[in-house]
Amino acid sequence: MAEIQQQLGTAMSPGGAAAIGPSPGRRSREPLNWKRIGKRIWRYKWIYVMMLPTLLVIFIFRYIPMYGLQLAFKNYKLAGIAASPWNDFAHFKRMLGYPGFMQALQNTLIISMMRIVIGFPFPIILALMINEVRLRRSKRVLQTIYTFPHFLSWVLLAGIMLNMFGQAGIVRKVIEAINPAWAADWNLLYDAGAYRWMVVFSDMWKEAGWGTIIYLAAIAGIDEALFEAAAIDGAGRGQRIRHILLPGIIGMIAIQFVLRIGSMMEGGFDQIFNTYNEPVYRTGDIIDTFVYRMTFQRGADMGFTTAVGLFKNVVNFALLLMANAITRALGQRTLW
Amino acid sequence: MKKDNSLIRPQRSRLNRFGVVDIVLSAFLILFGLMILYPFWNVILVSVTPTTIYAQHRGMMLWPPKIIWDAYKTTFRSSLIWSGYRNTIIITVLGTAYNMALTILAAYALTKDFIGNRVIRFLIIFPLYFSGGLIPYYLLIQDLKLINTIWVLFLPTGVNIMYLLIISNYFASLPDALEDSARIDGASDFRILFQIILPLSLPLLATFTLYYAVERWNEWYNAMLFVKSVSLWPLQNVLRTIINDVTVMASQNIPGQVRPDIASDNIKMSSIIVSMLPMMMLYPFLQRYFLSGLTLGAVKE
Repeated sequence: MAEIQQQLGTAMSPGGAAAIGPSPGRRSREPLNWKRIGKRIWRYKWIYVMMLPTLLVIFIFRYIPMYGLQLAFKNYKLAGIAASPWNDFAHFKRMLGYPGFMQALQNTLIISMMRIVIGFPFPIILALMINEVRLRRSKRVLQTIYTFPHFLSWVLLAGIMLNMFGQAGIVRKVIEAINPAWAADWNLLYDAGAYRWMVVFSDMWKEAGWGTIIYLAAIAGIDEALFEAAAIDGAGRGQRIRHILLPGIIGMIAIQFVLRIGSMMEGGFDQIFNTYNEPVYRTGDIIDTFVYRMTFQRGADMGFTTAVGLFKNVVNFALLLMANAITRALGQRTLW
Repeated sequence: MKKDNSLIRPQRSRLNRFGVVDIVLSAFLILFGLMILYPFWNVILVSVTPTTIYAQHRGMMLWPPKIIWDAYKTTFRSSLIWSGYRNTIIITVLGTAYNMALTILAAYALTKDFIGNRVIRFLIIFPLYFSGGLIPYYLLIQDLKLINTIWVLFLPTGVNIMYLLIISNYFASLPDALEDSARIDGASDFRILFQIILPLSLPLLATFTLYYAVERWNEWYNAMLFVKSVSLWPLQNVLRTIINDVTVMASQNIPGQVRPDIASDNIKMSSIIVSMLPMMMLYPFLQRYFLSGLTLGAVKE
C-alpha cells in the first residue's frame, strides 16, 4: 500500500492542493488548525461526492457481510445475526473432526499444489516459445487463439468438456478407434482418480495463453541493446534465453509465483462447481464447493458453514499478507 | 553452435534461416493452437451433424458428412434462450455502465490529495484480502430484498478493485498541466474529469469496459444463488441447465453401457454456440483492447 501511495503521491501533486494546505505527512507535526482542515475538506467537496457511490457500494456488499461473520461463533437462529447466542467455538471444534471438511481442505491444497507445479511454469515456457516465433503476423494469430478461452465462462467450458470427454465424446471415439478395449468402460468425467488432472489441465488450456501476456510484456521491456550485443558476441539461442531473457523476466516470475502461493486456499470454485459430480467429490470437492453444498443442499447449519468459510478466509488472509511481504522484499510494488 | 550462425546478426534481421529448432517450435505452437481450436470446432460439428451419423462415426471427425440445422431451430424456438439473451443483454449493458461509472469516479477521486485519502484507499483494498463469505452475503441480499430480482445480477458487483487501482494509476500518470490550466479557467472537478481526463484515456477505458462486459456476460453465480424464476435467468444459467440436464442423465447411467441421448447433445452444443456467438464475432476485432489491460497496469489481477 505504502508503495502505491508513494508512487501515486509523486505522480499526483494535484494542481490546487499545494496552495491549499500542508501535505498529510506534515500535518501531524503542526497544531491542528480546524479552520484550515475544514477549508481543505470544503475545497475537495466534489471529490468526496464523486467517491461516495463507490464507497457506499463497497461498504454495503463487502463490509456488511463481515459483520455477519460472527455467526461462525454462534448458533444461528432465525431471529437474526445479533440475536443468535454465542456457542464457545462449537463450530470450529466440530469442523476439525468433520470428515467432509478435512477432505475438502486436503483436496483444495492438493489441487492448488498441482496447479502450481504443472500449471505455473507452462505460460512462462509458452511465452518464451512465442517470443522465438519470427513472424510478427503469426505471433498475433497465435496469441488471439491462445487467449480466447480466458474470456469464456466455466459454465460454457463445462459443456465443451462434456462434448470432448463424455460418453459420446470425441476423445473416446479416437481411443476406441485405436483399441476398443481401452474405451470399453469409458468413465473419464466421473473418475475420481482422473478428476484432479482434468481440473489442472483444463485450467491450463483455458488460462495459459492469458498467462503469457504478462511475461511477454516483461520480455518486451528488456533492452534491445542486450540482444544486439549478445548477437555480436555470437550467443546462440540457448545462451540468449539463459543469459538475457530469463534474467529479464525472473522478477516477474517471482511475483507471479508469490501471488499464486498467496491464493493457495482458492481451489477455483467456478471451475470445480461446474465440472464436478458426486462420484468425484472424494478427490475434487474443495472448501468453497463444500461450503456451498453444506449451505444449500442439506438442512443447513448456517453457523457451521460460516465457520468453515471464515477458516478459509483467515488462512487466505495470512497467506496473502505473507505473499505481500515477500513481494515487497523482492523490491516490487505491492498493494498493501 | 554452427546451426545458430544466423543469429549472429541482430534479432530483427534474422529472417533468413529456418532451423530445426524453429520447425519444432512452430510445430508445437501450431499444435497447441489446434488443441485450443478443435474443441470449439467439435462443438460446431456435433451441433450440425445428424445424431445417428455422429453416433456411428468412428475416430476423429473433421468435417460433417451431412449438415442439418434442426438443433439450431429448436434452440431458437426455446423461450428460455430468448429470455436468457434478453436478461443477459440487460445486465451486461446496465451492469457495465454501472461498473464503469463507479470505477471512473472513484479512480479519479483517489488521485486527489484530499484528507482521508490513505484511509479510504485502505478501506477499498482491504476486501481484496478478506471477505465475509457465503452465508453473511446471502443473508445480506435477503435483508436487502434483492432475492429474485434482476438487480441482484449486477448491483453487488460494484467495482473490480484491481481495475479501479489500475485506472486510478493511469489517471495519476497523466500530465498535470492540462488539468491545472482548466482549473485556472474555473472548471469543476466533474468537468475536468469528463472533458480532459476521460478523452485522454479512451483506449484504457475501452479495455476495462470490455472486461466488465465479459464479466457481466458470464454472470451465473448470483443468479444461481438468488434468482429462482427462470424468466429472470441470464444466458449462462439457461445454458447450465441445458448442459446439466444431460450430465445428470449420463451420471445415472452405468458407465460404458448406455450412451446418453445424443439428440440432446445436439441441442446442448447448438446452445453453447448460440451463447458464445457475440464473443466469437467480436473477439478477433477487439483483440487489441482485450490484450492491453494487463500490461497497462503494473498490478496484475
